[in-house]
Amino acid sequence: MIKQTTYLSHSYGKPNSWTLSAYESAGGYRGVRKALALTREGVIEEAKKAHVRGRGGAGFDCGTKWSFMPKESKKPHYLVVNADEGEPGTFKDRSIMEMNPHSLIEGCIIGCYGIGAHACYIYVRDELHLSKARLWGAIREAKAKGYLGNNPFGKDYPVELYVHSGAGAYICGEETALLNSLEGRRGEPRLKPPFPAQYGAFGCPSTVNNVETLAIMASAFDMGCDEFSKLSELHPFNDGGARLFGVSGHVNRPGIYEAAVGLTLRELIYDLGGGVLQGRSILGVIPGGSSCPVHLPDELPTLPPDPRYDAYRGKSILDIPLGVDTFRSAGSMLGTCCAMVLSDAVDPVLALHNVMRFYRHESCGQCTPCREGCGWIERILNKVVEGKATIDELDRVHEIASNITGNTICAFGDGAAQPALAFIKRYRKHFEDYIVNGGKSQTRRLTV
Amino acid sequence: MPNFKLDDREIPFEPGETIIRAAQKAGIDIPHYCWHAGLSVAANCRMCLVELMPPPGRPAMLLDVLAWDKIKQEYLPQKKPKLVPSCQQAAADGMVVKSQTSEHVDVARASVQELLLLNHPVDCPICDQAGECRLQDYWLEHQGTKKRMRDEPVHKPKAVVFGPTIVYDAERCIVCTRCVRVSDELAKDPVLSVRERGNLNEIVVAPGRQLDHPYTLMTEYVCPVGALTSIDFRFKARVWFLRSRRTVCVGCATGCNSFSDFDPRDQKVYRYRPRENLAVNKFWMCDDGMLDYRRIHEGRVLEARVAGRPATVAAALATAAQLLVAAGPASTAVVLSAEHSNEDNFALLSLAKSLGFSDIYQSGRPAGQGDDILRHPDKNPNSAGVAALGKASGLKSFVELVEAIRAGKASTVIALGSATPTGSGAAALAEVRSLIAIATHEGAVVDRASVVLPASSWAEADGTFVNAKGMSQESERAIHPHGSSQPAFRLISELAALLGKPLGWKKLTELRAAMAPAAPRSVAPDSASLGAE
Repeated sequence: MIKQTTYLSHSYGKPNSWTLSAYESAGGYRGVRKALALTREGVIEEAKKAHVRGRGGAGFDCGTKWSFMPKESKKPHYLVVNADEGEPGTFKDRSIMEMNPHSLIEGCIIGCYGIGAHACYIYVRDELHLSKARLWGAIREAKAKGYLGNNPFGKDYPVELYVHSGAGAYICGEETALLNSLEGRRGEPRLKPPFPAQYGAFGCPSTVNNVETLAIMASAFDMGCDEFSKLSELHPFNDGGARLFGVSGHVNRPGIYEAAVGLTLRELIYDLGGGVLQGRSILGVIPGGSSCPVHLPDELPTLPPDPRYDAYRGKSILDIPLGVDTFRSAGSMLGTCCAMVLSDAVDPVLALHNVMRFYRHESCGQCTPCREGCGWIERILNKVVEGKATIDELDRVHEIASNITGNTICAFGDGAAQPALAFIKRYRKHFEDYIVNGGKSQTRRLTV
Repeated sequence: MPNFKLDDREIPFEPGETIIRAAQKAGIDIPHYCWHAGLSVAANCRMCLVELMPPPGRPAMLLDVLAWDKIKQEYLPQKKPKLVPSCQQAAADGMVVKSQTSEHVDVARASVQELLLLNHPVDCPICDQAGECRLQDYWLEHQGTKKRMRDEPVHKPKAVVFGPTIVYDAERCIVCTRCVRVSDELAKDPVLSVRERGNLNEIVVAPGRQLDHPYTLMTEYVCPVGALTSIDFRFKARVWFLRSRRTVCVGCATGCNSFSDFDPRDQKVYRYRPRENLAVNKFWMCDDGMLDYRRIHEGRVLEARVAGRPATVAAALATAAQLLVAAGPASTAVVLSAEHSNEDNFALLSLAKSLGFSDIYQSGRPAGQGDDILRHPDKNPNSAGVAALGKASGLKSFVELVEAIRAGKASTVIALGSATPTGSGAAALAEVRSLIAIATHEGAVVDRASVVLPASSWAEADGTFVNAKGMSQESERAIHPHGSSQPAFRLISELAALLGKPLGWKKLTELRAAMAPAAPRSVAPDSASLGAE
């Protein structure tokens, strides 16, 4: 169901939308005042009611994550913002940082208070220079106004924010690799346990939140978290509120759209995204960043017996509301909720080749299966595209990917294996054609 | 003690212990590359994955994968359990773990093994690790298939000199980071790290640095493949021709437990390896100790000498006997050596007693550099042993010997050992009328000796050494005595017989029985198995 909202996107495209005055005149910095009036425990209890599922891709409930932080500890606590947005096809956090940075600042203050932190590091992807500049600008403005510093909004609870630039590695979007990188170490995921809430940044209890997760918390607190959650059609699945939906690829109006949770892929692609370019049909759609499986438009997922799913039975994957649990149950993944659409004028073989080149390049190389497996899959796909592969080699792809998934320290391995498995399962014929015809008879295009 | 079940065996464990360590203690080797009992857990090789059975009534965590049905020509969705690395997973009471009995584990290990060899040059014939390489061992055990990737492998730097002791081959490297962790955690010198990412990863030395801390050979020792090789050992031997004996390093007073690896065909020791002993050296040895094996073959005294000329051992013993008889107890000094075993020193002390010589001194190698890791500033393996043996005889220091010589009180000296603690001490020895040296090596003592009796080195004789902690440790004979050399205790015993004062024992066991009251044995616990990592 389309229910467009403007909690985060009200300022998008407006002049000087990133300034404090623009933010405040649009009702900004009200949520944080309400939050600071509560106790720390009160903030966590309230946050839980918002049912904001982590917007970075894992979909973990934000309030619950905050509640994992120790009540008392001798070490300082840290809030770390994951602004290393690098998932292919995902560009929502960047829009917040560039056009509405104060919403993130406000969310960070609430987050710091909720988890007992006085310092917050915003780890921004290296390439996002404008985001870094806008965030520093917003921090300066907020400090000048006394919203940050020793007494934010008159409360005796010091909060400082820092922007930290990454060095251009996708893996640093994995929260523990991010923490290593923040500390000046090599950006490799850590072994868990211990989890960041016990042993995070600099060995201290830390919470790592996505940009959008924190930014939307400001609106949730302003509105009242329970009421905010109920905006969502998936409130019964504890997947609440509104979020940014992205759509890219072969659609007429690619971009970021804000709506209440409950939107379907079909609505996102056709109603908001303006339909497929040149009026063609969909070859495949990846729901939320390249780590998610690709789906055929007419795919009918098997849903669990839970009665909450009854309304969606017999429906195509395009008509199931985009939610963390709904998509997981449908054998897919919501990821970052930024869909990528492939038109039937293009070639899925080239699409997977492109995706696997990315994963081979970005694997940190720590674990054997991912380090060597991604390289092997890419190599086979190189040969497929060149028309030099054999069917035998094609038969390796699913086997290699099946042995990467689940066998690595972090989720990167799964994120690399899932697209390979999904593409090869759904488009095997295309791959075989490449091999049989020496790479000649294809559309051989990735752009329309 | 709590237990968990590994395949069909009950394994006891200490609380907090990981599955792999508890299994190792029980004698089961879960295959692994990156894990090492003496290092932090990296869990990156993924070879030690095991299947953890969910608690009763709880579903297993299953993952979606695919299989290809050749007949139907379609992919079949499959489920597999999420496996866990046994090096990271702490054991819990009642836990059920499948290692060799899980088909999923078999598949995962075969896959890891294949992936590790994917870009490996497989240059085993010219690789020093051959014969003790995990890639070789586990290929047979866990993979056993032909290479399926027929394309050119990834090429990386080869024969990179990391420092004075180590050469690195990035193509053979499996990036397990053991060497990085040895430098960080053992040597406390984080000079190694990983650069690049994905399958271009390689180990590098910090800019402006060399791999030159005192424990560099431990990086090679922990390397499970042929990526790091020792400049000293490479291209010298094939390990399958080498045999091992349990020895004790004589490089300093720490007394690290070692293996002496020698070739029985040419009776040459080719290297040392650390031998696990948690009470002494844990898993490690320092570079000085590791390379100390070279002294077994370098600078040795292998023939007897009289007045600087070559002689038979019999002739030298006869001359020595005459000199001792002529000198008499009043002007004779007996010098024990902290370089030598309890057995050698006990023999000389017994001879002194039977001849009524009462001026007993102690010699040894000069002090050197130490650290708070393994290296002891006392560069003698048996100072504590000599001190204990000589206590009842009023053992005197080397400084006192020099004073006695200068005062003309010691005109004849019978000295065990090749080195003196100080240079001025060596000069003083030149002033004595007769110097009988029972020595393994050329040097200050032998240069000034009237009679030289060639003693076997520690590798050519069984011996007991007492380390700085007071632990008495036995070192096994590895090779036959070189040249005309004999164990010092044997030379002394023959000398005693010539002097008409037989020492009462013939065999080593008899000597040890005679020595027992003077040097109670408190052998440090050590690992029983040869070849243990």
